[in-house]
Amino acid sequence: MNKKVESIILMIMCFILGMAVVVQINSVNNNGTTISSNSKESDLKTQVLKMKEKYERQYNELEDLTKKLEEARQQATSNNSELEELEAKIKQDNLLLGNTNIKGPGITITLTDGKKELTLIDSADLLIHAENVLAVVNELKNAGAEAISINGERVVNTSAISCDGNIIIVNGKKVSTPIEIAAIGYAPRLTTLSRAGGTLENFALDGKGVEIKKPNNIEMPKFTGVYSFKYMKTR
Amino acid sequence: MCFLLVMTMFMQFKVVQKTEETNIDMMQETELRQELASWKNKYDETKEKYDETMETLTSYKEETTAESKTRETLEKELQTLEEALGRTDVEGEGVIIYLTQKKDEELGEDEEMKPIIAEDLIYIINYLKDAGAEAISINGERVVNTTYLVDVGETIKINSKYLRETTFEIKAIGNSTYLESSIFGKGGYAETLDVSGIKASCEKSNKVQISKYEGDFEIKYTEEAD
Repeated sequence: MNKKVESIILMIMCFILGMAVVVQINSVNNNGTTISSNSKESDLKTQVLKMKEKYERQYNELEDLTKKLEEARQQATSNNSELEELEAKIKQDNLLLGNTNIKGPGITITLTDGKKELTLIDSADLLIHAENVLAVVNELKNAGAEAISINGERVVNTSAISCDGNIIIVNGKKVSTPIEIAAIGYAPRLTTLSRAGGTLENFALDGKGVEIKKPNNIEMPKFTGVYSFKYMKTR
Repeated sequence: MCFLLVMTMFMQFKVVQKTEETNIDMMQETELRQELASWKNKYDETKEKYDETMETLTSYKEETTAESKTRETLEKELQTLEEALGRTDVEGEGVIIYLTQKKDEELGEDEEMKPIIAEDLIYIINYLKDAGAEAISINGERVVNTTYLVDVGETIKINSKYLRETTFEIKAIGNSTYLESSIFGKGGYAETLDVSGIKASCEKSNKVQISKYEGDFEIKYTEEAD
């Protein structure tokens, strides 16, 4: 008898609790402020998308115009060796600044987050961090890399490799694992990065995935941004 | 007992609901605003570049006959590119950061003395670039795209120069408030250095002067592709 009473009380309790939950959720959902902030958000989202589209259109227009500029420059300097020399310098500088698509020999290093198989390994060691990518880029430059890209993002002089939580950001764009760092240069020298005791071997010992390839030809896209200097002036 | 449990759950639930709701709302809104500002900035920069390119294009097209005018336009274009490469002396708003090793008596209780290494400078350069630095130098050596830093014995190698100094002067041109807070903000790298026995200080200036890169850019393996 006692047990029956107890279970009935429990049932009623559960019912009340369940109802309370439902009421709570309902009242929160119907809350006026939530609705207004939701519409504010969707309004903001539309604005973001519109601005992104506007930028992309402008960027494409700039690309077309840059091609026209190159043609016009070539025409204006043809048949004048002195001016042709200046034109060649402009081309060379654009190449150095990452303003052109390029190709050449070199290596690619692919870094992937390790899988937790051994309990001995600290899981933070398994993940690829921005600092790891920064270290590889620095070493590639030391090994004479002429151009570097990270998942297709050209590394230029203003590029930062930062992180937002677990996400790595290059040139303000998110890149996620597998992270492929490509470098154009003298491949035998670039491959010294895989030496014993080197950074890459240490990554592998930490349990991270490291894969090096030596393709005969690497194609690298140009820097998809613009150089814009607001503070510095040439003296 | 059961009643108490239900009551606590109920209260807990209420509190959790409220805080989560407001946190997510706030985060999403600020995130969206940042995103919007970032695309707007990109658009503005691209538009500016477009107008500049249009101007240059017009001047080539109009002046195909006047050689001196074409030369002027070519030199102007080249000047802008050389500036971006780091091959000109520059000046502007920015910061000067000083790094020195603490003396024994300056060390805190849990602090240990460590020398300044290449890695410290690599991180600082990266933070400054992230904060929009337009030009950077370390002890007078301009940081360009091919610059790397490496420890060689007691020295740090930068641009084929070996720095033997134990104090460093890092100059950066850009928004001085952003640049300063990228290193000296709460939880910034200056704090990490401090517990390693390295004192960092910052000076803001409207006239930071940075010298040009004196080396060459060597290209042997890179070719232009379509």
